[in-house]
Amino acid sequence: MSLLEVRNLDISFRSTKNSIKVVSGVSFTIEEGEVFGLVGESGCGKTLTALSIMGILPQNAFAEGEIIFKGRNLLSLDKESMRKLRGKELSMIFQEPMTSLNPVLTVGYQVAEVLTTHKGLSRKEAMSETIELFKAVRIPSPEIRVREYPHQMSGGMRQRVMIAMAIACKPSLVIADEPTTALDVTIQAQIIELLQRLKEVMKMAVLLITHDLGIVAENAKTVAIMYAGRLMELVDVHTLFHNPKHPYTMGLLESLPKEKGIPLKPIPGFVPEPYRLPPGCKFSDRCRFVIHECKEREPELIQTPNSELQTPNSLHLVRCIRAEEISWKS
Amino acid sequence: MYQGRGDKLEILKVNSLRKYFPVKKGLTTKTMLVRAVDGVDFSVDEDKIFALVGESGCGKSTVARLVLGLIPPTSGEVLFQGMNVFGLNNNAMKSFRKSVQIIFQDPFASLNPRKSIMDTVSEPLKIHRIIEKSRIKETVVELLGRVGLGPDLLHRYPHELSGGQRQRICIARALAVSPKVIVADEPLSALDVSVQAQIINLLQELKREYRLSFLFISHDLKVVHYFSDTIAVMYLGKIVEHAQTEELFREPFHPYTEVLLSSAPVIPTSGFMHYESRITRITSRIVQGEIPSPIDIPPGCPFHPRCPKRFEPCDKIVPELREAKGRLVACHLY
Repeated sequence: MSLLEVRNLDISFRSTKNSIKVVSGVSFTIEEGEVFGLVGESGCGKTLTALSIMGILPQNAFAEGEIIFKGRNLLSLDKESMRKLRGKELSMIFQEPMTSLNPVLTVGYQVAEVLTTHKGLSRKEAMSETIELFKAVRIPSPEIRVREYPHQMSGGMRQRVMIAMAIACKPSLVIADEPTTALDVTIQAQIIELLQRLKEVMKMAVLLITHDLGIVAENAKTVAIMYAGRLMELVDVHTLFHNPKHPYTMGLLESLPKEKGIPLKPIPGFVPEPYRLPPGCKFSDRCRFVIHECKEREPELIQTPNSELQTPNSLHLVRCIRAEEISWKS
Repeated sequence: MYQGRGDKLEILKVNSLRKYFPVKKGLTTKTMLVRAVDGVDFSVDEDKIFALVGESGCGKSTVARLVLGLIPPTSGEVLFQGMNVFGLNNNAMKSFRKSVQIIFQDPFASLNPRKSIMDTVSEPLKIHRIIEKSRIKETVVELLGRVGLGPDLLHRYPHELSGGQRQRICIARALAVSPKVIVADEPLSALDVSVQAQIINLLQELKREYRLSFLFISHDLKVVHYFSDTIAVMYLGKIVEHAQTEELFREPFHPYTEVLLSSAPVIPTSGFMHYESRITRITSRIVQGEIPSPIDIPPGCPFHPRCPKRFEPCDKIVPELREAKGRLVACHLY
C-alpha cells in the first residue's frame, strides 16, 4: 500500500454565484520514504493541493475526491481526528518561516508545543527534546537559541526551527512548500542537505513543492508537473529531464538559460486566470504543437509507450494527445 | 591594466564608493554603523552588461541606489560620462536621470496602482518634455509595442496585469526617455521561469536596438552567466572578485565565488543521475555558517569564518582587491 494516494482531487473556491474550480482531477501516489516533486509556476494549484492534504484549506475553498493516507481518507475525517494526525504523522514546512512562526512566543516553546500536544510530554521533557531537535537540525548553541524569538534569528535559522517542528513527532510524510525560495543560495544548499539527511535518517517521505527545476533534479525521485490546476506530466526525474513528453515541460526546460549566445525559447503568453482557461487542453493557447483537436476536448493523463531511455513498465503519464509524435532535443 | 577596462569607453564609473548607515541598537544611545557598501570600484562600459552578484545584505541594491543618485554616499564618487553625479546642479541632475533609468525587482510595487498604463508610461515623456503633447499617445503605443504589449492595455491598471506584463510596463517606462544606462535590480526574481525567459530575450533585443549599457544586479547565477559580459561578486559591502563572465564561470578564484557557483543546484544535461552521486554533490558543496550581519563584519577577510581555504593571515589582514591573471581578486591566496 502506498503511503499517500491522491485520487481525482478537485479544489474549488466558493463565490457568490458559482464556484471556481482551481485544481482539477489531480491524482498521484507517494511511496514510503520517497521524495516526490510537485512543480509548477505560481497559481498552478500546487500549494492548494498541499493545503488540502493537510486539511487547512482557506475557509472559502473546498476539496472533493479522495486523499488516502495510510488507508484512511483524509477528506472524510472529522476535525478532531485530522487535528491528531496533523503535526504528528503529517507535517508541513512553509516558504516564509517568518510568517509561519508566532512572533510573540519563543521558538523553543513553539517546537515544544508540538511535543506536549501529540506525545503528551511534560513541559520540561518537551524542552529537553526540543534542544535535541535543534541539534539535529544543526542550530548552533541550541540551549540558548530555544529561548529566542523568531525575529532574533536569521532566515536560515528560522527555517531550521520550522524543520525541527515538522520532524518533532517523526512524521511519515513531510510537505515542504518552497522550503528554500526565500533563502540565499548558500543557505539554500545547507537546508536542502539537511532535509536530505533527515529524510534518510528518519525514513520519511517528502512532498517537495517548488518552481525550481534544479532543486527537483537533485532531490526528487518522481516528479509531477502542474499547470492550470492539472497534472500535465508525471514521471521519474531522469526521464523528465532527458525525455519530456509534454510541451509545457519542454517549454519550462527551454526557458532556462544554458550556453551563452543560444537564444532562450520562452513559452509565449502567460498563465491564464482560473476562470479564463481555454477550452480543451488548458495549455493549448500557449503551445507550439497545437492542432485543431487540442482545442476541442481536454486530453486525459495517460501512460505513454516506453521510450528508449526508460526501463520497461516505468510510469510516464502525459496529458497531451500528441505526446507520441512530438520529440524533444535538449 | 586588466582586461575589463582598456579601449572600451566607460559610461559609468564608481570610485571607492562607501555608504554607511547609522543604526541605534536596542535602548542604548550607542550608534553603530552598518557598512552596507565599503569601498567599491567598478565601471560599466558602453554597450556592455556589467553584473553585480551577491547574497542578500551584501550591499548590491545600495550600490544601485547610489549609482542613480537616490542617496548620497558616505564617501567616494559616481562618474557618469566623466561627471560626478553628486556634484550636479538641478538641471544637470534632471538630464542625468534621463540618461540612467532603473527597473526594480517587484513590478507591482514599482507601479502606481491608481495610474493607468497610459499615465504611467507617458509621465516621463511629460516631465522631460520629450515630445509634443499631441504625439504622446502615439509614442506610448509605440513603446508598448516595443516591449511586446498591445494598445489594448493603455487604459488598464496594474492590478489587471500579470507579473510579466507589469515588468514590461516598467521597461517601457524606462525606455520612454531613451536612456543610455539601465540599472536593473533583480528584474527577474519576482517572475515565473517561463516569463523570465521572455523578459531576458526582451532585454537583449532592446540592448542591441538602443545600444544600452546595463548595471545588472542579481543573485541568480544562471541568468547572470547567460546575460552579462563582466561580473563583480560582492560580499558584505566589498567586491571580492571582478572578472570577465566567461572566465569567472570557467574558473572562480575567490573561495566565496567558488562556494556561490557550487551552491546553485544543477540541471543535468547528459548522463544518468544516480541517487548517491546526487547526494554526494549536495553534501560536498555546502559551506557552513551564515552571512554575518553588516553591523558586525569579521576582522580580516570578511569571508574567513566561512572559508574552507582560510590560512594564517585571513583573520587579521583585510585582503586588497588585487590583479591576478587578468582579473581582480580580494584573497590572500592570490
